[in-house]
Amino acid sequence: MIPKIIKVGGGDVAEVQIGGTLPLAFLGGPCAIETRAHALEMAERIGEVCVGLDIPWVYKSCYDKDCRSSENSFHGIGMDAGLDILAEVRSAYKIPVVSDFSDAAWAARTAETVDLLQIPAYLCRQTHVLKAAGETGKPLHVKKGQFMSPWNMKNSVRKIEATGNEQILLTDRGTFFGYNMLINDYRNFPIMLETGYPVCFDATHSVQMPTSMGNVSGGQREFIPHLVRAAAGAGINALFMEVHDNPNEALSDPNTQLDIRYLKNILAQAKAMHAARQELLEEWGEDRVHLDD
Amino acid sequence: MSTSTTRTIADILLPPEAIPVVPPRTLVKEALEKMSASKLGLACIVDDDGRLIGLFTDGDLRRLLLRSQKPLSALFADDIIDHARREFSSVRADTSIDDALNLLQEREIFDLPVLDEGGHLQGLIHLHPALRALLGE
Repeated sequence: MIPKIIKVGGGDVAEVQIGGTLPLAFLGGPCAIETRAHALEMAERIGEVCVGLDIPWVYKSCYDKDCRSSENSFHGIGMDAGLDILAEVRSAYKIPVVSDFSDAAWAARTAETVDLLQIPAYLCRQTHVLKAAGETGKPLHVKKGQFMSPWNMKNSVRKIEATGNEQILLTDRGTFFGYNMLINDYRNFPIMLETGYPVCFDATHSVQMPTSMGNVSGGQREFIPHLVRAAAGAGINALFMEVHDNPNEALSDPNTQLDIRYLKNILAQAKAMHAARQELLEEWGEDRVHLDD
Repeated sequence: MSTSTTRTIADILLPPEAIPVVPPRTLVKEALEKMSASKLGLACIVDDDGRLIGLFTDGDLRRLLLRSQKPLSALFADDIIDHARREFSSVRADTSIDDALNLLQEREIFDLPVLDEGGHLQGLIHLHPALRALLGE
């Protein structure tokens, strides 16, 4: 199967192409849009790192956090205010932006602003949500649900394809391992690649321990570097990480967001591992160790 | 009533709507459901133009189950074309019933797809209707 390449952005902003043997792309930013000033500052600082490392990237942040553990948790800045801020980030730094939506009715409005429309993991099999996203015509970033097998993501892909949309990025963000714990199965990448669409690794949500702290999710961010290196070696097209300048005070996912002071370190290693894998495949040929049918 | 030697298989053809015809990206699970619903032991995989590009039979399923190490849930989610046989016997609609039966016997198979010159699926010869015709019903 010929790997599909998805194109994010272009026009007023940089075009980021993801897939095949293209260089590793990065999707990153604060989990939630907190304030206008914070969003702009984070875009500038992440951009400096990505430009310095020559890594194509897409700014990520969300206006509505519908899957928070508690009613009392920060729920988001709201769609109109959030999309206005994302539009400003996009315009100021000429970078594509990605944000998710949690209600089928929000898809079209969100797609007016973002370059890449994200479907949250918990909603990755909701037909109305997938159809609404597909019908926007925008490239879609679909997170594999923590409860989903990688092969069953094909059903989600087919629901989107039924709308005529074939710009899909599939992401692994961990799989439930009992209660309040996730594990990463790196077989997910080659299995999801069998759909023909590029794959991405969400490193920061992978270290999440869902609702492990009663009313908030915990996480072990010390494992981020290990998982990133392994995923880049396993074969991904893009890396996703939530990045914050003060994670402990972040309004959402304080236990898993990566402190921006470590971003350059992690991205440089991810890029090198990704490139090394490509070189190894060029030298030794594509992986093919299974018996022919 | 004409005999089997004078009748052609066009007389005993199962039309496409009576057999499991599926596009190549049908899930294995969905193809098996169609096979069961039609009470036939094979699925005919056709491209967008109706050309037969593969067959998947009960025997193929048996061999697949003995060979595959995938979890059943993963196997169900595979595309049927990935497990289909691409080489198969077929006949034209003007083939005699005797010739078709001889071919079924030679190859030890139960079904023969019927194709036109362009490889488009016209229907299926199944052993039992063919035998009924041979025996003159």
